Amino acid sequence: MDIKSIIFVILALIFAPVAGGFLAGIDRRLTAWCQGRFGPPILQPFYDVFKLLGKDRQVVNTWQIFCAHIYLISSMLSLALFAMQSDLLMIFFVMTIGAVFMVIGALSTPSPYSQIGAQRELIQMLTYEPLLVIVFVGIYFVTGSFKISDIVAYDRPIFLILPLLYLVLTFALTIKLRKSPFDISACHHGHQEIVRGVLTEYSGPYLAILEIAHWYDIVLILAICSLFWTTSAIGMFFLLAITYLAEIVIDNITPRLTWKWMLTYVWAVGITLSLFNMALLYAKSF
Amino acid sequence: MVSQMVWVSIVLPFLAAIGCLIDSKPLRSILVVGTGVAVSLASLLLVQGQAFSLNPETIFGIPADGLIAVLDFALLFVILGISYQLKNKLIAVLTVLQIIPLAFLELFLHGAENTAPSIYGDQLSMIMSLIISIIGSLICIYGLSYMEEHEHHLHVEKSRQGRFFFFMVLFLGAMNGLVFANNLLWLYFFWEVTTLCSFMLIKHDGTDIAVANATRALWMNMLGGVAFILGLVILRAKGLPLALQELISTPGVASLALLPVGLLCFAGFTKSAQVPFQSWLCGAMVAPTPVSALLHSSTMVKAGVYLVIRLAPAFAGTLFSHYVALFGAFTFLTTALLAISQSNGKKILAYSTISNLGMIIACAGINTPAAMAAAILLIVFHAISKGLMFLCVGTIEQRIGSRDIEDMRGLIRIMPRTAMIAVIGMVTMFLPPFGALLSKWMAVEASARLPLVVLMLAIGSAFTMVFWGRWLGLVMTSVMGEAQEPEEQSPLVRVPLVILAAAAIVVSFVAPGLYSAMVLPVLERFYSTDLYIAAQGVFINNIGMFAVFPIFLVMVLGVAWAARASSGKRVHQRAYSTPYVAGLQDPANPQRIGFKGPLGQWANFTTSNYYMDAWIGEGRISGWINLISSGILIILLTGVL
Amino acid sequence: MGFFTKLLETSRVKSPWIVHFDCGSCNGCDIEILACLTPIYDVERFGILNIGNPKHADILIVSGTVNHRNAKVLRNVYDQMPEPRAVIAIGACGTSGGIFREAYNVVGGVDKVIPVDVYVPGCPAKPEAIIDGVVLALGKLKEQRTAKDTDSLAAELHQAREFYANRADRQVVE
Ligand code: SF4
Repeated sequence: MDIKSIIFVILALIFAPVAGGFLAGIDRRLTAWCQGRFGPPILQPFYDVFKLLGKDRQVVNTWQIFCAHIYLISSMLSLALFAMQSDLLMIFFVMTIGAVFMVIGALSTPSPYSQIGAQRELIQMLTYEPLLVIVFVGIYFVTGSFKISDIVAYDRPIFLILPLLYLVLTFALTIKLRKSPFDISACHHGHQEIVRGVLTEYSGPYLAILEIAHWYDIVLILAICSLFWTTSAIGMFFLLAITYLAEIVIDNITPRLTWKWMLTYVWAVGITLSLFNMALLYAKSF
Repeated sequence: MVSQMVWVSIVLPFLAAIGCLIDSKPLRSILVVGTGVAVSLASLLLVQGQAFSLNPETIFGIPADGLIAVLDFALLFVILGISYQLKNKLIAVLTVLQIIPLAFLELFLHGAENTAPSIYGDQLSMIMSLIISIIGSLICIYGLSYMEEHEHHLHVEKSRQGRFFFFMVLFLGAMNGLVFANNLLWLYFFWEVTTLCSFMLIKHDGTDIAVANATRALWMNMLGGVAFILGLVILRAKGLPLALQELISTPGVASLALLPVGLLCFAGFTKSAQVPFQSWLCGAMVAPTPVSALLHSSTMVKAGVYLVIRLAPAFAGTLFSHYVALFGAFTFLTTALLAISQSNGKKILAYSTISNLGMIIACAGINTPAAMAAAILLIVFHAISKGLMFLCVGTIEQRIGSRDIEDMRGLIRIMPRTAMIAVIGMVTMFLPPFGALLSKWMAVEASARLPLVVLMLAIGSAFTMVFWGRWLGLVMTSVMGEAQEPEEQSPLVRVPLVILAAAAIVVSFVAPGLYSAMVLPVLERFYSTDLYIAAQGVFINNIGMFAVFPIFLVMVLGVAWAARASSGKRVHQRAYSTPYVAGLQDPANPQRIGFKGPLGQWANFTTSNYYMDAWIGEGRISGWINLISSGILIILLTGVL
Repeated sequence: MGFFTKLLETSRVKSPWIVHFDCGSCNGCDIEILACLTPIYDVERFGILNIGNPKHADILIVSGTVNHRNAKVLRNVYDQMPEPRAVIAIGACGTSGGIFREAYNVVGGVDKVIPVDVYVPGCPAKPEAIIDGVVLALGKLKEQRTAKDTDSLAAELHQAREFYANRADRQVVE
C-alpha cells in the first residue's frame, strides 16, 4: 500500500459522511418538492445528527451500544477497502458485518417494535444480498476480475454491456436507502411506522452513529454504481445523478410492499433480468 | 517415528475403547483424557513432517490385509445381526449386498495385486487427523461430564456410559484410520466402522424415536456402503489399483473409471447426508449432544466430503464434475432454507452442517484450485465452530431444559459465559474475517463461471445469515438491571468450550499461514494455475483478494473500541431505560413487559421469530427437495455409466 | 462559548423532533397537530419531524386530559425521552383538563403528571399556535438541560408524582 492510496482512504473516510449527509439533505428537499412542500434546509441531516450526538445516552442494554459501534466500524472499513481498490466481494461481506450487528442490536431489546423491525430488516438483507453477489459476478464476467483496480481499468463503460444488471443493482440500492416500495423495516419518511422498526430502541448518540454509518453505506453503494461508468467522469456523474433522481421519484410514487411481495418480486425480477443480461452477453460473444 | 505416530492415532483408540467398557468411572476418565492427549500429540507431531506412506505387512504378527478382510466380514455380519434384531429387511438386504461383492472381490478378483502402500498421509490427511484428534478429544472430554448429567437427568439406573465411551473412543481410531488409509479396502473397513459407531450412538438412549432414527441412519449409510463396495469391485475388475493416490494419478482415469469414482462419490454423499439423504442427520440429533458434536458435525460426516475431495482430481473437467457442483450447491441452498424454518437449536445446527457440507461438495465439483482450497479450509473452520456450537447447545440444554431457540431468549443473563461462547461460535460461522466466511468467499469467486451454482451459493449464503443473525439476537435479548446470576460449570465442560472458542478465532487469524503450510502442498500436486497465494496475511489470486490480516486488525480495534464504549463502567446507571412498549409497562416493575388489559388483568407480550412455517416448513418443502435432488443424483449417476 | 457548544445549540434549535401523545383528547387537537405537517404549514421547513417514538424525540406534545389510566402511560413515555427534552400541553384539555375537568376519571391537565414547559391554549388549539408553542419550547431545549440538571428537576417530578399517588386511591375503573 503506497502513500497515495493511504491519502485516498483518509479522504474517503472524511468526505463520505459529508457527501452522504448532503445527499440525504437534497433527498429530503426534493421529496418535499414532490409533495408540494418547501422542505427543510439542505444541511438538515447534519443538524439532526449533531443534535442526536448531544443528547443524553439512553439504552436498554449495553449490547446496543456495542452493535451500533460495530456497524459504524464495518461501514467505514468497507468504504476504506473500496478506496484501496480491493476485492468487491470481500467488501460486500465486510458490509454484512455491520448490517447483521444492527439487527442483533435491535433484536437484543424485548420491545416488540424493534423485534418486528429486526425481522423485517433480516428479510430485506435476505432480499438484496444475493442480488449484489449476482451483480458482482456479472461484473466479473465482463472484466475477468473481482478486484476494483482491474474493474476501473476496463476500457469500456460496463453499463453499456450490463444495463439490466445495473437495474438489479438499483433494487439493492433502493432497499439499502430505505426507500419505498422496499422500506418495510424502518422508513425514512414514515417515522411513526412500527415506531421506526429496527431503529426503535437506538436513541441519542447511538442513533446518530447508525445514521453516520448509513451515510457511509449510501456512499459505498453509489460508489459501486459508479463502477458501471468508469471511463469518463461526466458519464459517471450523469449515471449517478439519474439513478438517485429516479430513486427519489420511485420513493414518492410507490406504496410500501409486504415482505413476501418484496422478496418474490425482487428475486423474480432481479434474477430474470440478470439471466437475460447474461444470455445477451453470450449471444454477443458468438 | 511417523509409523509410531500413525499407530498411536489409529490403534491406541481401539485398545482404549475396550478399556472404557470396564465400569469404573476414574479409569474411564483417565482412559478418555489419556487417549485424547496421546492422539492429539501424535497428530501434532505428524504435522511436523512431510507427506509419508507406510506399508505395514503385519499387525500384531497377522498379515495386515488379511486381518482387515476378516474384520470387514465380521463387521458386516454384526450389522446383519443388528438388522435381524431390528427386524429390518432393508438393512439385511443392503448388508447382504455388501457381503457378496466383498466376498467376490476378496476370493475371485485378484487382478492387479496391491503394491501400493496401505497408508498414506499428506497434509490433507494431517488436517483431518488434527481435527479428529484435537476437536474429537475435546468433545470426548466434554462428554465425560455431560453424560453424568445426562444419565442423572434420564434417571438411568445402570450406567451405560461404558458402552457410550467405547463407541466414542473407538470412533476416534476409526476416523483416523479412514483419513490415513490409502488402500481402498482399508478405507472401506473404517468407513463401515464409523457407520456402526454412528448407529450405536444414535440409538444410545434407547427410546423408540432414537431406535427409529438410528435405523434410518443405518440403512442410508449402508446404501452408501453398497455403492462403495460396488465401486471397488468395478475398479478391481477394470484392473485399476485399489489405492486412492494411485487411482487419482492414473493417467486418463476420468474416462476409464468414472463409474466407480461416481459410485464412491455417491457413498460420500450418503455419508455427508446430502439431500435427499438429509433426514438421517436430522434424525441423529436425538443422540446425546457430544455424539452430535463429534460424529454428526465435526468429523464423521466430513468423511464423505473428504472422499469426494480426494477423488476430485480424478474427475476434473468432466461433465460429472459440473453436476457434482450443482448437486452440492443445491444441497447448500435447500438445507439453509430448511434451517430458517426450524426453531429447534440442534436441528438448525444439523441443517447448517448439511448445508456447509453441500458447499464443500460444490467446491469439489467446481474443481478449480481456488474451490479446492475453499473446501479444505471450510472443513477445518466448520469443524471447530460447529463442534463448539453443539457443545454450547448441549450445555445450555442441560441448564434451561430446552433446545428451542425461542427458550434461549435472554440467555446472556442466565448463562453469561456460555452465551458469550455461543456468540463467538455463531459469529465465526458466518461473518468475516473468520474462516468459514473466508471459504465461502473463495467458493463464490471460484464458482463465478458457473451461473447456476453461483446463484444458489449466493441465495444460500443469504439464508445462512438470516438464521444465524436472529439466533444471535435472541441470545442477547436482555434488559439491564436484572441480576446476572453467576454461572457454575465443571472444568470438564468449561475447558473444552474455552479452547474451542479460542481456536475458532485464532485459527481464523492464522488462516493464511495454515493455507500456505497445509493446503497449498496438497493443491500443488494436482493444480498448477490460479492458486491463491497467501502473502502478508492477504489471499491473492488473479481474480480476487481477501485481506485477512487488515480486516482482522481493524475489527479487533473496532471491537475493542465498541467494547470500551459499552462497558458497564462507562454507561451511567441513569442511562438505562426500559424498552419501548408504547408506555404500557407495569409502573411497579418496569422490567416486566406487558400491559393491563380489561378488568385489570395483566397480559404479557410475547415476541417470537418468524419461521415462515407456512411457506418453507419441513413438511411442506422436504418432498420437493428430495424429488429434485434425487433427479440430479440420477442424472449424475446415469451420466457416468 | 466553544465552537462545538454553539454547533450543538444551533442543531438543537434546528432539529426538534416531536412525539405526539394523545392522552384522551376529543381528537380535535390531534387533527390540528397533524395539520401542521401538511403543505400549508409544512413544519419540516424548521426541521420539525413528527417522530412517533419517545426515545428519538426532543419534544413531547400532549393533547387531551390525563385520566387515571393513561397517566402511567404518559409518565412512561416521558421517562423514556432522553434529556434535553421539553413538554408542550395542547388545548384546553391539556393545559387544565378543559371541559372534562370535573369528570370522575380525570386527573386534570398534563402538568399534574409531568412537568410542562409550554401551554398552548385553545379548543382546539390552532396550528399556528401549536407551531408557536414548539418555537417557545425550543428556547427550553437550548438551555442544554442534561442529566446533570435532572436532579433539580427530580424535586419537581416528585411533587407531581405525589399528587398523582394521592389521587390514585380515587380510581374507579381499573
Ligand atoms: S381542547 Fe378542545 S379540541 Fe382539544 S382535545 Fe380538548 S376538547 Fe378536544
